[in-house]
Amino acid sequence: MKKIISHVAFGLLGLSVSAAAVAGPAEDRAAFQKFYENRFPDTPVSDFQNGVYSILPSARAQWEEIEEFPPYELAIERGEEIYNKTFANGKSLASCFGDDGAVRSQYPNWDKERGMVVTMELAINECLEANGEKPLKYKKGAMADVSAFMSYNSRGQMVNVEIPSDDPRALAAYENGKEHFYTKRGQLNFACADCHMYTAGNLYRADTTSPAFGHATSWPVFRSKWQAMGTLHRRFAGCHNNIRANPYKAQGEEYRNLEYFVTYMSNDLEFNGPAARK
Amino acid sequence: MNHGLKALAVGLALSVSSAFAGSGTTAEHIEAATAAYKKVAKETSYQWTVTVQAIKAAQKALDAGDDKGARELAHHAMALVEATRTQAKLESENWKMRVPK
Ligand code: HEC
Repeated sequence: MKKIISHVAFGLLGLSVSAAAVAGPAEDRAAFQKFYENRFPDTPVSDFQNGVYSILPSARAQWEEIEEFPPYELAIERGEEIYNKTFANGKSLASCFGDDGAVRSQYPNWDKERGMVVTMELAINECLEANGEKPLKYKKGAMADVSAFMSYNSRGQMVNVEIPSDDPRALAAYENGKEHFYTKRGQLNFACADCHMYTAGNLYRADTTSPAFGHATSWPVFRSKWQAMGTLHRRFAGCHNNIRANPYKAQGEEYRNLEYFVTYMSNDLEFNGPAARK
Repeated sequence: MNHGLKALAVGLALSVSSAFAGSGTTAEHIEAATAAYKKVAKETSYQWTVTVQAIKAAQKALDAGDDKGARELAHHAMALVEATRTQAKLESENWKMRVPK
């Protein structure tokens, strides 16, 4: 594993020479998506939304079997109940997100007024709090259930994150997420990009790493290892722990900006959450 | 690169421990490591999980009366802090070369 990484590092040194041109988000995304298309020529572009199964034919059949009786079905039901539950003030989550909550493709978005990235989970808690209800914990449990219900009703919506060009703070948030993705962290000295880009498809301990193209499309997921649902930020924290870097706070600025970048990179794929994962 | 960083950490551990070797109580060494950890956490906005573990282990060893073990762990934590700082410094530029063009 270490050998592979140092080869990658050496290979990249050569590339850095051509770093002069200043690329904006659109150029970043084109280069990002092209990287994966070149690296995995057998994967149809639209299939990158399926995580590691888009590049791992040996695990695909079993996964498809699991998806036939999806382990997240109960979560969707629980989420629906929470979604329709009447608040003390007579309203409900539906008052914020409509009857079916099919708003996945509106997130993450740039809130110009507050100058910050708003994710769907953050918006759910803001709706609760604005109506005098208690906010939910971000990584699992009821939040993952509500998110599963809303994502399920949003299946098929296209990822279409915008980085508004008339607000430099939006670009800064995007750049912050981008830097995070490519920066080595933790005692093991890995960047997200090391595992999910340059060595995507390689084995790390018992797991093959997925391409980051498509990373934000399938959430929340039911993960066998957790035996439960988890949100994207729970996964971010897990990957940080694995490289012995302190995780950031779920829905804090750092992870929201990271989500902004990663999701933008997956523009033009479909949202297809919730999903099952190993 | 991994190897480089590890070597660096070991090198720092040696230099830090020799600088510290004679002076101060072990409790002071643990305090110094804790202060350095907090400082770098502020500067870099991130941390290694193992650093705080080493500091806790040092305190535990000291409480259990293992002065030598505690001192070694405190120096180890200090080396991890330095390696974190070095990583952050290198990465403040190096991340750019990983962005595909
Ligand atoms: C040491 C390698 C490694 C690093 C570094 C790493 N991950 Fe992971 N990550 C994994 C493995 C292994 C899995 C589980 C298999 C997979 O990719 O689905 C995983 C899974 C994920 C998933 C779930 C994908 C899915 O479809 O279920 C996301 C999202 C993710 N990582 C994001 C990140 C981000 C963001 C970072 C940087 C903060 C990061 N990872 C750093 C190894 C890594």
